[in-house]
Amino acid sequence: MEQEPKICTNILKIIHARSESGQLVRVEEILAELKEQGFLESEDVEQKAHLETTLKQVLKENRDLKAISGKNGIPYYYSAQSLSETYAGILVRKSENPLWLIAEVVRENSQLYPRPVPVDSFLEPPFGLTREEIAECLTTMREQREYQDIARTITSVGTPFLYSTQHLDPDHAFTLAEWLDVGQVNNP
Amino acid sequence: MSGEYQKHQVLEKALNFTNSSHSLSRREFLIMTGGIIVAVSALEARGAKEPPLIIVDQAEGLVIADATQCVGCRRCELACTEFNDGKASPTMARIKIGRNLNFGPKGPYAGLRAQGNWGNGLIIQDLCKQCPHPVPCANACPNDAIVVSPSTGARVVDPNKCTGCKMCQRACPWEMMSFDSDTNKATKCFLCEGNPKCVEACPSGALSYVAWRDLTDKVPPRVVPTAVVSPEKAQTCIDCHKK
Amino acid sequence: MAKYGGWAGKVLRVDLSTGRMSTDDTVEQYKDYLGGTGIGYKVIWDEVQAGTKPFDPENKIVFGVGPLAGTGAPCNGRTAITTLWPTCWPRPLVASGHMGGHFAAELKYAGYDAIIIEGKADHPVWLSVMDGRTEIKDARQLWGQGIRRSTIEINQQMGPEATVAAIGQAGENLVPMSVVMNSYSHSAGGVGGVMGSKNLKAIGVRGTGSVRIAGNKEEWEKAIKLHLSLLGANNQNVVPNSPQPWAEHYNAGSRWMASAGRRWGASDPNIDTGACEPHNLNRIAYRTNNAAFFLGDKAWQYTVRGNGCTACPIRCHTMLKVPAVAAKYGIPEVGQNTCVGLLFGKAFFKTFPDGPRGQTAIEACMVGMHLADDLGIWENYGQLQRDFQALYYNGIFGRKVAEKEFKSYSWDKYEEGDPTFLFELLPKIANKQGELATALGLGTGYLLERWGIPEQEWLENHELLYWKFGHPKHHSNEDAGQCGVIINTQYNRDAQCHSHSNFTRNGLPLEVQKRLAVELWGAPDAVDGVADFTPMNVYKAKMAKWSLLRKELHDCLSLCNWMGPWVASPLRERDYRGEDSIESLLYSLATGDRKSRQELDQVAERIFLLHRALTIRDMGTKEMRTKHDTIPHWVFADPKDRAAFSKGTIRMDRDDIKLAMDMYYEEMAWDKQTGSPTRETYRRLGLETVADELAKRGLLT
Repeated sequence: MEQEPKICTNILKIIHARSESGQLVRVEEILAELKEQGFLESEDVEQKAHLETTLKQVLKENRDLKAISGKNGIPYYYSAQSLSETYAGILVRKSENPLWLIAEVVRENSQLYPRPVPVDSFLEPPFGLTREEIAECLTTMREQREYQDIARTITSVGTPFLYSTQHLDPDHAFTLAEWLDVGQVNNP
Repeated sequence: MSGEYQKHQVLEKALNFTNSSHSLSRREFLIMTGGIIVAVSALEARGAKEPPLIIVDQAEGLVIADATQCVGCRRCELACTEFNDGKASPTMARIKIGRNLNFGPKGPYAGLRAQGNWGNGLIIQDLCKQCPHPVPCANACPNDAIVVSPSTGARVVDPNKCTGCKMCQRACPWEMMSFDSDTNKATKCFLCEGNPKCVEACPSGALSYVAWRDLTDKVPPRVVPTAVVSPEKAQTCIDCHKK
Repeated sequence: MAKYGGWAGKVLRVDLSTGRMSTDDTVEQYKDYLGGTGIGYKVIWDEVQAGTKPFDPENKIVFGVGPLAGTGAPCNGRTAITTLWPTCWPRPLVASGHMGGHFAAELKYAGYDAIIIEGKADHPVWLSVMDGRTEIKDARQLWGQGIRRSTIEINQQMGPEATVAAIGQAGENLVPMSVVMNSYSHSAGGVGGVMGSKNLKAIGVRGTGSVRIAGNKEEWEKAIKLHLSLLGANNQNVVPNSPQPWAEHYNAGSRWMASAGRRWGASDPNIDTGACEPHNLNRIAYRTNNAAFFLGDKAWQYTVRGNGCTACPIRCHTMLKVPAVAAKYGIPEVGQNTCVGLLFGKAFFKTFPDGPRGQTAIEACMVGMHLADDLGIWENYGQLQRDFQALYYNGIFGRKVAEKEFKSYSWDKYEEGDPTFLFELLPKIANKQGELATALGLGTGYLLERWGIPEQEWLENHELLYWKFGHPKHHSNEDAGQCGVIINTQYNRDAQCHSHSNFTRNGLPLEVQKRLAVELWGAPDAVDGVADFTPMNVYKAKMAKWSLLRKELHDCLSLCNWMGPWVASPLRERDYRGEDSIESLLYSLATGDRKSRQELDQVAERIFLLHRALTIRDMGTKEMRTKHDTIPHWVFADPKDRAAFSKGTIRMDRDDIKLAMDMYYEEMAWDKQTGSPTRETYRRLGLETVADELAKRGLLT
């Protein structure tokens, strides 16, 4: 396999390029690109398996390369040079389930900073959900048991925020939302 | 840039040429004579009168600017003089923002047509064009103190030869010559040996160092130049162009 | 060559009564006070007697900058203007206003670290300072003109590169709520009337000189790049406003607004602000868009670009182009400002037909900036507008102003949120026309007194954000609990301190802030989560002291305390650490006077102590704890009556705040009983003669 070093370089390039454009990449996508580049002549199972091993080797040798798995266990790859774990997490959840995406973002923010999240922020990149999608998610959440901690608070100027009751009291969440939406602007 | 260092480099280049077997083109000869004069004068030799320096080759690069991206912070002017000269001195900076900052190139009489902070917001960055031949500032210098940088082809002031007469300032249609009031010498954009400090310092990416292109017929002049070229230089021009 | 770099070396003194001009040697006379407010307090202490009133010819105005002004140190554009403060109620005391723009740098290039204005001219004049040639010029033809026209006319005389600090009609008419303004949108509040009282219309400055960097230029370049690498967006918010590919953290409350798709829409062609990865120092200027932060997404389409001070890459002033306002209101379509200056017009109104982030609100801002920044009216950190709303909606205007005058205002327009109302109101404030406008121009304290309204009402009303002495709070308990409260007790106007709030608002997770707090103030307990405050501890007192000293230090060095300090950064590889010694590094390299962080903080403490001594002298009491360091009642109340330290409230506890003040005085080595510094403290900081002077007056503890 004298092509081996070249394959390694190309795998690295594929992952880096995807990350630089703000995207994750799955194994199949890497293989498809390698095939386009002429490294994979046929659908030879053995060859494919070998490439997967090579990929693992590349991952091991390049410490900036990371894997992140979604709910279904499929790994996505990215370079930490261009993408943060936070951002990668958003992309994985977005690709799998917007309901889960919203809930996890809200929970993380409620726990970590802590702060609630403006509903409208899900309209913007990288979330990029539509108003309808968000509304649908929020309706569904109300009915599903695993999302019962996701609650809503509305600021004095009518901006809705989401928070998780696992991490924030309703009163605290309201004050924090008001602070983000109105307080900081009025106290510049 | 250290004058001594530059002299050394030019001399070395000249010696390499004379040792090599190929004959100098006229263009190369003219460039090199500037260097040789520096070198010879440094050795305090008094020989036959050298022909005046006339720069004919082009610079390798220049700094260009996007006015819409300029945010008027003047960090470029400050980087230019602080990192090169150890002092903050926008007046001496080889990139010029301050004069267009408030009202644009037309100044405070522009009224409703004003640019800059008091007008439509557009800030015109004034930069050295690293002029092609004939190089106005260099040609106007009675001491041949404006020479070609061996590393970038930038037109640079040799402080050892500059007497501070300001003839170069009167020659530049874009008013891009600067003066160091502490040394009373002229200075101008020398492209920081290919890594311009101003480009690195711009917080909005409005400046770029690019391969040289001729902007002299594209950017309107700020003033009508009034400098005169010495008879010796004029004669050299005639000699060359009549061929 | 001068022994020190950084300083220009001279302080210009102009006596407008006699026309006499002289210079002092900065290093000889003021080195121990650095510059800026340091020179200001020193001059007022030495030369202005207790009991002097702001508009007396005996009052002086000190335009002071520091050794970093005019250099490439980031965020050095501020000029500190120190004088006796006309809106400080019930008696004027020393205070300072701070304007950004290009005045500070130009003053240094002209060869001066400060200008001291004394006396009073017998007719309107303006001061021309050109490279050490100073002239008092006749300003009679400028008197009555707005700031814009006056500036342009002075620029026509001095050349386009001059920076002009001018007052408008408000200052000329001795309206206490007035500003001096330079570089189109950079104002210092409170001092317009003091200039007016001296018949001084403007100071034009033009300098072609330089500021020498004493240290090695390669080291200076490294220091500058280090500082740049630590910068966040405006207010040193170190995380972006929305998730960015590179970012571990984000915060919807951040002023780091840049993101792919958010565009400077009025730039031609328009510009995508993009990801602004923090290591890319060529993108810093795109991070902040304060118009979008304060006015909402709609502001993006009107954004021409960011603007701001000399050498500052942050560009907190946003330039807006709103074509509709030209035809609708007859004003220029381009306007610019930041924070309360940007919100000047909008903040008067309770509602707008299309909501708080709609087109009308933006138009109100455009009209407000157009009028206020030309007439030269000050908003006192929004107190003018908060007062206005309260006085109108509580029916006080109707009671205090004659019916005919009251009815002459189009209150229907006001209630509807019609920006044209501002054309009725603002010129009247500047020209002292009528009772309503005249009273508003006095500032809160004197207005309440004039109309017989007990200050108590203001002290109890949380929505008014009023603190004391005629001035509001500025980053108090809402931002930093007890630390914020302590800071707000210390000055004679709004505190203007951002050292603490720039840290608590930086956007990092609380656990990261706590980790940084250990290194900075000794324990994680120095900081709390927002609206989740814990009882007082000594680390909060240490943070308060540090915050105040850094504010004063910045005001003296000419660094912007609206951006600094830089103790947190956007850099993950540094675990989001900033650099607590950046000020001392820059100071030492620029001046050649090597001072460690601790040594420089001690100079700041000396300067802050002099401010305290001046306040004691001019109040004529050493009972500072009870008579000066007061706290409004609303701090101890909660609209839902939640207990202090419960989640969701910013309410403080009275006993806990007593403890907080105790701990603060102890940190400062001041007497706990009176809140006055002790002789030993004055001595330790080199101010024994100040202690002697206070002792002579019976004002030393």
